[in-house]
Amino acid sequence: MIARIVALAAVLLVALVTQTVLFPLLPTAWFRPDVLLLVVVAVALADGPFPAMRVGFAAGLLTDLLVLVAPLGIATLVLTVVGYVVGALRPYLSPSSVSAPLAVALVTGGAATAAYGTLAMLLGDDRFGARTLVEAAFGVAVYNALIAPLVLRPVAALLERFPRTSASQEA
Amino acid sequence: MYQRRRARVLLAVLTLVALILITIDVRSGDSGLLHGTRGVATAVLQPVQDGFGVLIRPFGVAASSVRELFGIRAENEVLRRQVEALSERRNVVADLERENRELRRLLDMAERNDFDTVAARVVSLAPSTFEWTVTIDAGVDDGVERDMAVIGASGLVGRVVQVTATSSRVLLAIDPNFFAAARAARTGETGLVEGRGSEPMVMRLLDPQADVEPGDEIVTSAYQGGVFPAGIPLGVVADAGDPDSRLTREATILPYVDFTRVHHVLVVVGTPIAVVPPLTGTPDVDFDAPDVDRFRDPSDDDATGEVPDGLDALPDDETDADDGGETTDPAP
Repeated sequence: MIARIVALAAVLLVALVTQTVLFPLLPTAWFRPDVLLLVVVAVALADGPFPAMRVGFAAGLLTDLLVLVAPLGIATLVLTVVGYVVGALRPYLSPSSVSAPLAVALVTGGAATAAYGTLAMLLGDDRFGARTLVEAAFGVAVYNALIAPLVLRPVAALLERFPRTSASQEA
Repeated sequence: MYQRRRARVLLAVLTLVALILITIDVRSGDSGLLHGTRGVATAVLQPVQDGFGVLIRPFGVAASSVRELFGIRAENEVLRRQVEALSERRNVVADLERENRELRRLLDMAERNDFDTVAARVVSLAPSTFEWTVTIDAGVDDGVERDMAVIGASGLVGRVVQVTATSSRVLLAIDPNFFAAARAARTGETGLVEGRGSEPMVMRLLDPQADVEPGDEIVTSAYQGGVFPAGIPLGVVADAGDPDSRLTREATILPYVDFTRVHHVLVVVGTPIAVVPPLTGTPDVDFDAPDVDRFRDPSDDDATGEVPDGLDALPDDETDADDGGETTDPAP
């Protein structure tokens, strides 16, 4: 159990530095993939809503702590809900499907970015308008779909190596 | 059924916690506990991001270089024409420099570029798509303080908004929260430059009838409550806006700094200049502007004023008219 927690924490840390250090170096303009979101999606598709919500909460809190202006807690809320929704949809998705995870990455990328931006705007963040919000949602959705195989498969393999204990599965 | 209900309970609990965090943060503002926690998180994660960056930066730069290869041929052609244009201007610049030195002595102004700076490396960008900030590896221990100006090789990069012992967060000049008092180097027309995120910057000109044209260079100004040292290049006017506007006239500014390629910066740590209070509430003052260059031969303009094709982004006069000295190139 501890090994699994450490492994997931390491995955979140690698995802964070990849998102904040590596992708800014690549020619992706201002819209970058949301790697932390993809990790949450991967956990949800592999293990369901319970662990996905916990990982989503941690990933969101990590994002919020490194954001300067937007209120702390927005990413926490969004990624937790994404973890729940994708985890709840898992029984309806074919485990062997290749396109389903990509579609989930595409939809969650756009929806989570739009939800984050909308909540920030509702809470008084007026740095961007509806046009930027739509562009960002579209950009993140496309990027997330493109790199989804590079994130979903390794995370799924890691979760297989560190499976949930029977006690945690009951919880 | 039982599992699903428990999942909903956990969702409700975590959602409640997130909402409480949002409420506390919104209510406490910049002085609350959560704001301090963000500073701690930045300080803790900065070494990790720095170490990771050292490992992966070569790969990122290599990947970036592959794309840039395709644009090198076109860029080479543009640079060749720029060299030709600059060669033509060389003699003019030498004369302007001499004139500039004389004017400095005459006005008893401090050397504009005599900044006391601290070099820093950009460690990471903000994780949010909607925030234009970077983390640099210089902090309080290096003499960095909040609200200090951050400059790059091409011009103003932003200002420091959060400081820890060894790192700082810099609000980039293109962030919509950023603004700076600025003026046109050619005419001295003043205004307020604002960031617009991924869109070009905007300069709100104080005078709707201001003499500002596409190609004019925009630099920071200490006038009107400006907090930045004067004369730092900001960008070049792409669209001068509608001079017939009855309200505020907005000019579109293309920043010199390529904010997607900022790797090394300088933090201006010198004593901030005295801020000149804005002239609000004071009666208008009539004065006769002095005739400058009354005996200038207009034919000189014909010899030096032509800009070759493809150099439209270059300012017509690359020297600052009243602060003088800076010669800058727009970002490609």
